[in-house]
Amino acid sequence: MEDKSKKFMNPYLAGIFIGIFMVLAYYFSGEGLGASGALKSVVVATVDAVNHDYASNASFFKARVGGEHSPAKTWLVFEVLGVIVGAIISAAFAGRLKMEIGKAPKITNNKRLIYALIGGALFGIGSQLGRGCTSGMVMSGMGVLSLSGFIGLIAIFGGGYIIAYFFRKLWI
Amino acid sequence: MGPLFPQELISEEINILIGFFIGIGFGFFLEAAGFTNTRKLAGVFYGYDFVVLKVFFSAAITAAIIMFFLNHYGIMDINLTFYPQTYWIPTLIGGFIMAFGFIIGGFCPGTSICAAVTGKIDAMIFVLGAIIGIFGYAFSFDLLWKDLRNSGAMGRVNIAEWMGISDGLFILLLTIIAAVAFFAVSIIQKKVVASTNYKL
Amino acid sequence: MNKISILFVVLLVIGAFGVFIIDSTQKEPFEKVQPCDLIDIISQTNKYVTTDELARKMMSDDPTIMLIDLRTKTEFDKYSLSGAINIPLENLADKQYKEVLDQDVRTIILYSNSSDLAVKAWMLTSRLTYKNIYILKGGLNRWVETILKPKEPKETALRTEFEMYSFRKAASYYFGGGSTVGETVIKKKTSLPIKRKKKSAAGGGCD
Repeated sequence: MEDKSKKFMNPYLAGIFIGIFMVLAYYFSGEGLGASGALKSVVVATVDAVNHDYASNASFFKARVGGEHSPAKTWLVFEVLGVIVGAIISAAFAGRLKMEIGKAPKITNNKRLIYALIGGALFGIGSQLGRGCTSGMVMSGMGVLSLSGFIGLIAIFGGGYIIAYFFRKLWI
Repeated sequence: MGPLFPQELISEEINILIGFFIGIGFGFFLEAAGFTNTRKLAGVFYGYDFVVLKVFFSAAITAAIIMFFLNHYGIMDINLTFYPQTYWIPTLIGGFIMAFGFIIGGFCPGTSICAAVTGKIDAMIFVLGAIIGIFGYAFSFDLLWKDLRNSGAMGRVNIAEWMGISDGLFILLLTIIAAVAFFAVSIIQKKVVASTNYKL
Repeated sequence: MNKISILFVVLLVIGAFGVFIIDSTQKEPFEKVQPCDLIDIISQTNKYVTTDELARKMMSDDPTIMLIDLRTKTEFDKYSLSGAINIPLENLADKQYKEVLDQDVRTIILYSNSSDLAVKAWMLTSRLTYKNIYILKGGLNRWVETILKPKEPKETALRTEFEMYSFRKAASYYFGGGSTVGETVIKKKTSLPIKRKKKSAAGGGCD
């Protein structure tokens, strides 16, 4: 069985490239690379489309609704669209473009999917509360030496290490 | 001098287009590093694959170094970017919740999107879960989250300033610590993989 | 760790050292230092004339002073100190003014809206080795604040402050402050006002 890890790019090189793109993002657009914000835009746009009045009044949605264009026309959304394209291109070149369920051998497929759902929901909540996710808040925050990025780093990774033991069966 | 868009030196359309292309780069290298694989992602917490740590810190340090030079030579003014504000309480709590999400779900939003579009079904479910989570958060916002989210406001805080050291010193310390960590974890990774017979 | 990885990490460390070295060897970058501070750093000798001192000289009809207004003609016409000659900063080195400025008989006092332009001019004239050149500290803005519209000190202030205030009140009457100068609000020139457009959709940032 071929060693799949050889097909992955050197992590430091990948990191350096990502760092460069982050600088480009800041230089041209003044924004950091992020992701959760785009998901929020999807939610806002959906609610706005379904019930515009509610969206204009509810405090969560208010700020994003009612401008000259749809709440989905944000820089972040387009960046994420780019992310999608970029990921597909890379996967296509590396032969990693296929349907499958990533998981550890010790749990079943269904369990994995259930946990993915729960984990996703938690991340949805956490990223909104924490004002960003790992890419946007932590990585980009660290890039500009923002205190918030480092707090996020400690919270996510510190928290992760504490919790990891209890969920080790999921992974190893 | 940068950043261009906040100073209205480029139009909104061009800005969004640039965002798209930058996203392509970001997505490409995330996937190339293997971030679509949930086991690789979780590996940082269990010691068998530290790719997350390596990519993360390399990216942050690279960006910090380059932007320091840009800022210093007047090519870019960091203060004009959408520099994140620090709200330490919700960031800490939210971060902890995200840690749960990471360990249980095995992804973060950015990586889940990359993985979902390259066919990983678990990632698609994760994205779905995230959207559901955001809906839940949104509709319970006033009740549960609003005050918490705005607590602990500190404005824009530069960590080096906060610690009372210069930017340059902070970047150097961070890089050295990271470099040491890189060496350390490569040793740890070898040991853990050997002892648990881990295969991707 | 394989060789390539080591190379990358070393690259980052070198970059970080570069950052550190540049950051610590450069004292405050030039742009951040106010011209006034730079002057103080350069020479301890006093190149300033305070607004109070100038007021005193003018009120006593001191013939040895010469006031140079460094602002544009439009600003000069709108309001200026009596007896001042208008030489916009960019013309300061012109040959036609050399005779006026390059002398050591009279005391030349440069002023603009704040100290900034005057300091630049002072540096220029110093390099041209003109002598007896002084800067009106705080410029016209300070002139308005202290002489034309002096602020009454609090009850708990020192006696010297009260004495200064009564001098300033007198000066204010002498120079026609309060009534005539009410309109010309001399705005301090700020650099590049960056308007943050209130964006409805793009809130910026990850949240």
